[in-house]
Amino acid sequence: MSLLEVKNLSIMFGGLCAVDDFNLSVEKGELIAVIGPNGAGKTTIFNMLTGIYRPTSGSISLDGENLVGLKPYQFAKKGITRTFQNIRLFSNATVADNVKMAHTLHNDQGLLKCLLRLPSMRRSERALDEKVMELLDRLGLADKADLLAKNLPYGDQRRLEIARALMTEPKLLLLDEPVAGMITAEMEDMAKLVPQIRKDFGITIILIEHHMNFVMPIADRIKVLDFGRTIAEGIPETVQKDPKVIEAYLGGGYTKNGNAGS
Amino acid sequence: MKGKKWIKAVYPAAIVALIYLLVTVLRQLGIMNGYYNQVLMFAGINIMMTASLNLVNGFTGQFCIGHAGFMSLGAYGAAIVTGMLFKHTDSIFVFLLGLFAGGLAAMAAGMLIGLPSLKLKGDYLAIVTLAFGEIVRALLRLVKPIGGARGMIGIPGYANLGWILFFMALTLFLLRNLIHSPFGRAFIAIRDNEVAADAMGINTTKYKMTSFCIAAFIAGVAGGLYAHVISFIQPDNFSFTKSADFLVYLYAGGSGSLTGSVVGATLLTILPEFLRFLADWRLAVYAVILVLVMLYRSEGLCGGLELPFMRIRRKELYEEPLFGKKEKGKEGQA
Amino acid sequence: MTYFFQYLIYGLQLGSVYALLALGYTMVYGIVGMINFAHGDFLMIGALGTYFIAQAFESFQVGSTYPMLIIGLIILTAMAGTGVIASGVEAIAYRPLRNKPRMIALITAVGVSMFLENFPRALPFIGPNPRSFPTLFQAKNIDLFGATITTTQLVMIVLAVVTMAVLYLVVNKTKIGSQMRAVSMDKDAASLMGININKVISITFFIGGALAAVSGICYASAYPQVDVYMGSWLGNMSFVSAVLGGIGDIRGAMLGGFILGIAQIFATAINSTFGYAVGFIILIIILLVKPAGIMGRLVVEKV
Repeated sequence: MSLLEVKNLSIMFGGLCAVDDFNLSVEKGELIAVIGPNGAGKTTIFNMLTGIYRPTSGSISLDGENLVGLKPYQFAKKGITRTFQNIRLFSNATVADNVKMAHTLHNDQGLLKCLLRLPSMRRSERALDEKVMELLDRLGLADKADLLAKNLPYGDQRRLEIARALMTEPKLLLLDEPVAGMITAEMEDMAKLVPQIRKDFGITIILIEHHMNFVMPIADRIKVLDFGRTIAEGIPETVQKDPKVIEAYLGGGYTKNGNAGS
Repeated sequence: MKGKKWIKAVYPAAIVALIYLLVTVLRQLGIMNGYYNQVLMFAGINIMMTASLNLVNGFTGQFCIGHAGFMSLGAYGAAIVTGMLFKHTDSIFVFLLGLFAGGLAAMAAGMLIGLPSLKLKGDYLAIVTLAFGEIVRALLRLVKPIGGARGMIGIPGYANLGWILFFMALTLFLLRNLIHSPFGRAFIAIRDNEVAADAMGINTTKYKMTSFCIAAFIAGVAGGLYAHVISFIQPDNFSFTKSADFLVYLYAGGSGSLTGSVVGATLLTILPEFLRFLADWRLAVYAVILVLVMLYRSEGLCGGLELPFMRIRRKELYEEPLFGKKEKGKEGQA
Repeated sequence: MTYFFQYLIYGLQLGSVYALLALGYTMVYGIVGMINFAHGDFLMIGALGTYFIAQAFESFQVGSTYPMLIIGLIILTAMAGTGVIASGVEAIAYRPLRNKPRMIALITAVGVSMFLENFPRALPFIGPNPRSFPTLFQAKNIDLFGATITTTQLVMIVLAVVTMAVLYLVVNKTKIGSQMRAVSMDKDAASLMGININKVISITFFIGGALAAVSGICYASAYPQVDVYMGSWLGNMSFVSAVLGGIGDIRGAMLGGFILGIAQIFATAINSTFGYAVGFIILIIILLVKPAGIMGRLVVEKV
């Protein structure tokens, strides 16, 4: 059985069909990329996969369990977390606290214990801190643990978003344009980090991206969207050569002219 | 090393004890009269109110502007227990029971109003809390057995400066612990980015509710203390003006800072008393000072600042606990 | 039935007071995004100002009332004066905080409100005591379906409705109106398009203040007592009206004001304390059903 099974997912906003009949089956451990021009409906799919939007029709099942209709925090509890395209950190909290905040769903300390700060609660806080520092260390943020998230450089903020999402211990991690707005060096770091995370944590990843040269080397499979519809899918090499993809990316005129010329 | 840690753990309590001692001595010597003593008691109560409001507005990022409503329920709840149910029993336990009942009454109301309304955002939540405060006031005016609009008299004067300082210190201690716990972090996450908090698995409704109820409980206890200081309460004591006072203390002190709540509530409770020499101009001058503070220090007097014992640093987690077992430390040495 | 119409008339009268004041709240909210808690005090300034202006015009009095022309002059002077004070308050206290968190401006507004109440209270020639508002013109009783409506009530309700209609036209049909709408949608973009934001906001506050003055005159004609604290609870009620109708929406403010005024009068007829609470109860019910008020549209955060 696949880890994630998405069938006939569609959503309408008013009369506009933002995503039309989206199907996706993801095996455990895969790295899938969803690409497509601006406005193709990529982020909308993520919003449906994390419960922020409720699809008009279709089903989303994780490990065979249907998730449609749950609230976003319940999606996270079931094992799907995400990062955001427009960074959404807890900006007035420290880096370490940002990551700890994502541990709330695994919190087993009761209110009374927390109010009185009993020794057992202090021990659990310490264990949590050790865990968080280990995670931050892997992502190269350990030395910035006590800085406020809003004071981090841009690239680090993106990495902190990933660290935070990993702290919820997801089965499936959704990365929404992880290299948007990054300079080349930062992008190269990220291209190393994403497969590394996949290996170290043994998790499944779906990512959205524009940058073909970021996606091509790391993705197992690619799905291409345009105007809410899937126009191509398969391994990177095939997708890259697909005329429909080229048309969607470079505009209709390009292929027509190209055809006429040849 | 051990001694230093002892001092660190004990000195906030020592400060409170010292204030109490100083006031007692000053009163014995006749330098300070009962009136100023009462002003200090009000300051203590206002600190509790402001700190609890801070939990909701400053730390959880919600927008409650009817906090006096909870205070009134606490005041009436406590007064009914001590002044009516156990009228003839003069005991500390009755007083404590009354305060607890007041806190519970306020918390129950908090739950009642919070459940449907915490879905609302920003200004709409604000207006519901304002409406809540005013509805409570109107309803209290309607209930004849507790005096209606004329109010309730003859509440035993159990509360004194000692009790108020005790409860104030306890409130600050508990709130500090709470803020530096998984609960407090969830609150701050909701404040900083509700969408992200939700996506990270934080049940925002549950945590907002928790924050709201804890704040309501504290406000209820503070209301109970208030009733037992002035012995006479009436619904109009808890109007929107009162709620606005707490908002002013909170934001002038600095929201999101417990130290700020203490500083804001204390200074602004005492300031009007210092301005008494201005007679009629007193409140106008107070208002000008307030506007100037907001214009020139918008983040509040202590915005973003916190005294050392009001926060818990990450590295403190790795210090040996002062109390409790230390098996871990011993294992490490062996 | 007679009682019904009588209460309806009282309700419309109170509703027009709320609606006029709520317009100011809603316009300021729509354009600057702040809740101006001092807005109720503009009503007080308008009413108190009218009291003093009417005294200054005492020599024109015919009997105990004034000729129509002088009444118009008195009202216009009070409106202009209150408007100037309102935009002055904006320039001094709110403008420097425009880019700060909204709570900061709100607390400042609470401070401004305290000042506006307590400064005149301290002035020797005003003071804390209530004064009786002058009868601007002789009221006649008109019979309407068995209920009595006085000419004062009629004139005040008509004045309120006309003022609102004019405002609606100003906002929707004039150049300054379209500038206002532009600023309310996006301040930065409006500024890039060459709109002088400070001027637009000043004018908004001026209009809000002028409307508050009209509403103060309406209120004081119905309940002829003025004192420095009269604005605070009226301000609260009209804030409720504005939210009820959907804050930021002009038609919503009018609708909310009339709903609240009528509901309050009918509830007061049953029980006087209950009358005060009923507005808030309606508010909570409406917000639970329509979280953004009657006319308001919910803004969904884009993810």
